[in-house]
Amino acid sequence: MTAATGDILSADLSSLSDAQLMKLERQIAKKHSGMFPWLMVIWAFGNLLCWLAVWPLVLLDIMPLWLGFIVATINMSMVYLPTHDAQHDIIARPGQKLRWLNEWVGHATSWMIILPFEVLRVTHLDHHRHANDPELDPDYTSHAAGPWAALWRTVKERQPKGQRQNDYLASLERHDRQGLILLTLAYKLGFFAILFTLAWTGFALEAFFLWWLPLQIAMTYLVFYLSWAPHHPGTARGRYTETRSWKSAIGNIGSMGMQFHIVHHLHPYIPLDRTPAAYREMRPLLVARGCELGDN
Amino acid sequence: MEKILTAVLNFLPLIFAFGFVVPVMAQLMSVADISAPFGLSTIVFALIAGGLWGLFAQIKGRWI
Repeated sequence: MTAATGDILSADLSSLSDAQLMKLERQIAKKHSGMFPWLMVIWAFGNLLCWLAVWPLVLLDIMPLWLGFIVATINMSMVYLPTHDAQHDIIARPGQKLRWLNEWVGHATSWMIILPFEVLRVTHLDHHRHANDPELDPDYTSHAAGPWAALWRTVKERQPKGQRQNDYLASLERHDRQGLILLTLAYKLGFFAILFTLAWTGFALEAFFLWWLPLQIAMTYLVFYLSWAPHHPGTARGRYTETRSWKSAIGNIGSMGMQFHIVHHLHPYIPLDRTPAAYREMRPLLVARGCELGDN
Repeated sequence: MEKILTAVLNFLPLIFAFGFVVPVMAQLMSVADISAPFGLSTIVFALIAGGLWGLFAQIKGRWI
């Protein structure tokens, strides 16, 4: 924290104007952004390589299928966050020298969860613009009254007539990205073609336990912790009310850093691994703004 | 091309049932050493059970 920021944060914030509070908030956000997020790049490609390695290890009977299933489930659960940083151009912004790496991190890993990187980017940025809007937030279908209802809803929304996929398609149409709808279909049909081929050539259980089931478990986990929990109850709209800080029963790592999701919505250019530190510095400002901060 | 794609998408639950659910079911039964009832072979039983499940998903729009 800079000396100036520290002085003001220890003072009575209620006397500060909206512009002064915003200036302090931006100073803290700037301090925690702009660095190269090595962790995310290593995480993205390490996770991909680990999952790819599981296949020959299981097929050659070096690794038992049950262990492969556990590893693959962890891998699938870890796919999203590096692509999420890439969606926000945190690794490199357009025009920067390492822009290709930013795009590579997104494209090279999002296919594991059968979603094109650009689809994730367009729909996620729409979520930021319209968080908690029943008509325009593509993630609105993760809203539920409580944790069990939320878990059940994630399963329901992945059924053939689930609303979530329609909301994603609507988001792409609003942005005139019909090409991405076709690409999404191509990913899905390509995934099915791989599953069917493996299944009918004697590798049904490997396809089931190394990809299909880990994907279902991971999507439930991801939607619960990345979408439902940090936005619950999800009834308010506005910069300081559309998301919250909360205490997870399985800790910040177990909940994929989402305890401090409020910082991400306020300043989406801060890398994931810096949001806890940014939150701690920003907390008095968030209190002054009347944010929902739970026990953090 | 569009017609083929639409047809595939319209019948995706049934296609998924026969493309994936049936062989997974058959291989799970074999690994778990579960015999099919009524003297049916494992694959015939899986085709019937998986096919009916797919039909349910096709009509109701949900697997569970």
